Amino acid sequence: MEISNLPISPSIRSKLLSKGYTNLSSLSSISPSFLAQELSVKLEEAVEVLRAVSDTTTSKNAHIPNGIIPGAVTAWDMLSEEQMQRHISTGCEDLDAILGGGIHCKEVTEVGGVPGIGKTQLGIQLAVNVQIPVEYGGLGGKAVYIDTEGSFMAERAYQIAEGCIYDILDKFPSNSREFLSCKERLQVNNFLAGIFYFRICSYTEQIAVTNYLENFLTEHRDVNLVIIDSVTFHFRQDFDDLAQRTRVLGGLSLRLMKLSKMFNLAVVLLNQVTTKFTDGSFQLTLALGDSWSHSCTNRIILHWNGNERCAYIEKSPSVPSASAPYLVTGKGIRGINSNFKRARIM
Amino acid sequence: MMDAEEEDTKSRLAPDVTPNRRLPWFTGIELLSDTNQNKHFLPTGLEGIDALLGGGLRQGQVTEIAGPSSSGKTQVCLSSATHVVDRNFGMVLYLDTSNSFSPFRISCFVNQLHPSLPKELKETSLQTTMSNIYCQSVFDIFALLDLLHHVETTLKHTLGGSKLCLLIVDSVSSVIAPVIGGKNSQGWCMMASVGVLLKRIAYEHNIAVLVTNHMVGGENGTLKPALGESWKGIPHIRLLLSHGTGNNRGTATVSKHTLMASGRTANFVIGN
Repeated sequence: MEISNLPISPSIRSKLLSKGYTNLSSLSSISPSFLAQELSVKLEEAVEVLRAVSDTTTSKNAHIPNGIIPGAVTAWDMLSEEQMQRHISTGCEDLDAILGGGIHCKEVTEVGGVPGIGKTQLGIQLAVNVQIPVEYGGLGGKAVYIDTEGSFMAERAYQIAEGCIYDILDKFPSNSREFLSCKERLQVNNFLAGIFYFRICSYTEQIAVTNYLENFLTEHRDVNLVIIDSVTFHFRQDFDDLAQRTRVLGGLSLRLMKLSKMFNLAVVLLNQVTTKFTDGSFQLTLALGDSWSHSCTNRIILHWNGNERCAYIEKSPSVPSASAPYLVTGKGIRGINSNFKRARIM
Repeated sequence: MMDAEEEDTKSRLAPDVTPNRRLPWFTGIELLSDTNQNKHFLPTGLEGIDALLGGGLRQGQVTEIAGPSSSGKTQVCLSSATHVVDRNFGMVLYLDTSNSFSPFRISCFVNQLHPSLPKELKETSLQTTMSNIYCQSVFDIFALLDLLHHVETTLKHTLGGSKLCLLIVDSVSSVIAPVIGGKNSQGWCMMASVGVLLKRIAYEHNIAVLVTNHMVGGENGTLKPALGESWKGIPHIRLLLSHGTGNNRGTATVSKHTLMASGRTANFVIGN
């Protein structure tokens, strides 16, 4: 592998190339002090360079198993893993149905819509629903809520958690022993304690928190959901250089993708809308530009259909595009028919 | 005298230049017969696109599919992976940068292929097909370069047996776009490295390479493929996808081709 592909700073790279070190083998038997003298850099920088070299050579010499590259998994193994995966319910059965069970883990889902359509409500609902215990069909995990606009309200989260518990106890009225121990855990305070809340006030803090998340998630392995509400806010107003904004956002989305895969979480990004002039008319599109629209695995657009709120799946690799209506009730996000269903059971 | 000077030059050259290495020469006739015998077309499974490409993805060449969001790029990749393995061309390596590789969707494609098989045979065919598709997630350009070098080394040392025949990078633009632009040119250098590496792997090991690219705004509000003018020369064949009317339908346009004229379009349908 050539020097040009090593993760070192450009000035050191150009010094290495000008002195004639073009491949890794030429650097393999040099002491740090000799290299520091050759390149006229500090000793610490020479040590860094040699460490980068040794990292790449050791990973290359690692034993290559039967697969083509280490770490590659066959689609068959992934299929069995995927079938055992639980999804995060949104609270609305129709929406869960068209999503293929709910919000998928290991994927980044973007939810966008006009103001007042219910994005934050959906975010809080998901933060509560991810904590539903495994015995009641949920994931039993915790949630990280990164708030950039200040729209998270603890009182509303309390209401939604209450509504969620009420519906669970309604749906599973049995008093068998296995459920009794879980019932004790179904307290609203437990649900609120399971949401880790970060308040972000600038785009630098937003980038910093995504960098910090890796450490945080290594300590708190039971987190299954990360919500960023909203990912757009600070990037729309403070950034002057749009090209740099696109690059920064691209790097941010790759980091989130990596986190979701590594820690088996669902990442939900809430986005705002903007108007765009296409084909001679103004149309509503999601903010942050064309390049950002490629940075998510799934996209759901929330919109008004007459007087009804509707969710439309615009992008997904595994489910077809479909639409489902939903309601924002006092208890949280619910489907249109949920009231009727409960009457029938009784 | 000449020998002494030559010896001097040889000792001063970098260690990996061996003067005895002869570049292989081919005549036109040899190249043509090699192309006809060895450079097969790998099917994408979508009729319209196969027709546009003259049969499918060409072994030894890099094909790029560009298109706006949710125009069907990942579906074309998943469909190609399924059809290529099903017709026993070899193994497929899928490098995924946006967690869009969906085993469930692959199983849907496999079940569509042979709808009339009995249940047990379907199960075994599903397992054999899916065991020949390897997926690896890549989240930054250094990891991508590392992986591609690994693939190259492994291919050099594999003798016979079931070999890699299709390499898919979905999408190559999401790992390259964050590093290009900006003040220094290191990003462009790495983009060029990726391009050269993909072409070398395709040519030396007779592999078809399929990459996807996204679109950015161009002049007058039109969309153009990302990664700029320098990347334009890397893929041999370029297709632009756009949304069609209705679900699962799209239109593909040939933007660049080595054998046929550009500008032709075709409609394609992605099965359920």
